[in-house]
Amino acid sequence: MTCLSIEQIYLYIEKELPSAKNREIQKHLADCPKCQKAVEERKLLIEAAESLPAWETPLGFTQQVMARIFQARVSPLSWLGAVVSGFASMILAVVLFALVTGQNFSDLLRGSYYTLLNAIKNLSPLLAKILKLAPLLLKILQQFGEFLVKGMTLLISLISPQVQIIIITVVIVIIASSIYGFRRKLFIGEKA
Amino acid sequence: MNEDKNLVEKTLQGEQKAFEMIIQKYQQPLLNYIGRMVGERELALDFTQEVFIRTYSSLRSYKPQFKFSTWLYRIASNFIIDYWRKKKIDTFSLDHQKKMDRDLPPIQVPADEESLVTKFETSQLRGRIERALDRIPSSLREVFVWRHINELSYEEIAEIKGLPTGTIKNRVFQAKELIRNLLEETP
Repeated sequence: MTCLSIEQIYLYIEKELPSAKNREIQKHLADCPKCQKAVEERKLLIEAAESLPAWETPLGFTQQVMARIFQARVSPLSWLGAVVSGFASMILAVVLFALVTGQNFSDLLRGSYYTLLNAIKNLSPLLAKILKLAPLLLKILQQFGEFLVKGMTLLISLISPQVQIIIITVVIVIIASSIYGFRRKLFIGEKA
Repeated sequence: MNEDKNLVEKTLQGEQKAFEMIIQKYQQPLLNYIGRMVGERELALDFTQEVFIRTYSSLRSYKPQFKFSTWLYRIASNFIIDYWRKKKIDTFSLDHQKKMDRDLPPIQVPADEESLVTKFETSQLRGRIERALDRIPSSLREVFVWRHINELSYEEIAEIKGLPTGTIKNRVFQAKELIRNLLEETP
């Protein structure tokens, strides 16, 4: 047998040859150091190529693709549904609040505003100190904000607009009720 | 193989979870291919997403008598070719490649062949292969990546590219020889 062609070498290494041809080549390789060297050389090349590090996908990649596919498929009608469910849940929240507490919701909002204003006035010396540390705080806040936005974007893309509005409404009611409860406690304290 | 077809069927019936499983299964091999074809991680991730979106959009045109992975990889391959055409990347000259496919004679091992591979440590060799890959014509790089990074059979690559198996083998051999010859020149 004559010396191997490059093509034969690769076919031999990748076991792509019929067994008879394979045996013939093995026989030749046993007597031909030049071809032996050529085979070894190319075997190493293939082994190194096949062990190249893989490109890893980042965490949450699947969810990002899913969000892109299924977000794009939200029809304009579903946004109408979102607006309607938003209004409905707001009305429901106000009615529930009035039934449970016996208070007017607008009074609560006004009260919460004044409470917050007083709290800011009382906390002004602390705010002045915080302002001194503003550059550092801003940097931390910026990083936290970016992280929060990324997380929220991913979360929002996974939840339908209707559910998002219901969640936001529930959170607002919880916050408003907490402020109301806090004020009431303070008021009782003043009375006592 | 049948698992893929079931997932496609379920996706078409409206089960989003089934397509999520397809993404999970193929995101890594697709990124490996696209990444090595475009060379930039962010761009590769974006393109991988685009390929999945295209796949989902054209899922109804998938014919179950064909292998799903081959169909998906063909979408990816066409996507990359479109990108190169838009960017007017010169390296992907199909006519030139066809001429090379025709003209290539069987190459014999020269009597005084120099050792270009054995002189490097494995990690060094990997780095040089990565850099050499960027320097070979895209049409050769593509088949090399399918064969030795994604470990597809010659028949599968032939089906993806719509070319005879012999042509694909020829291109893979050319790619390997080119890479081997570039190893020393590549820093």
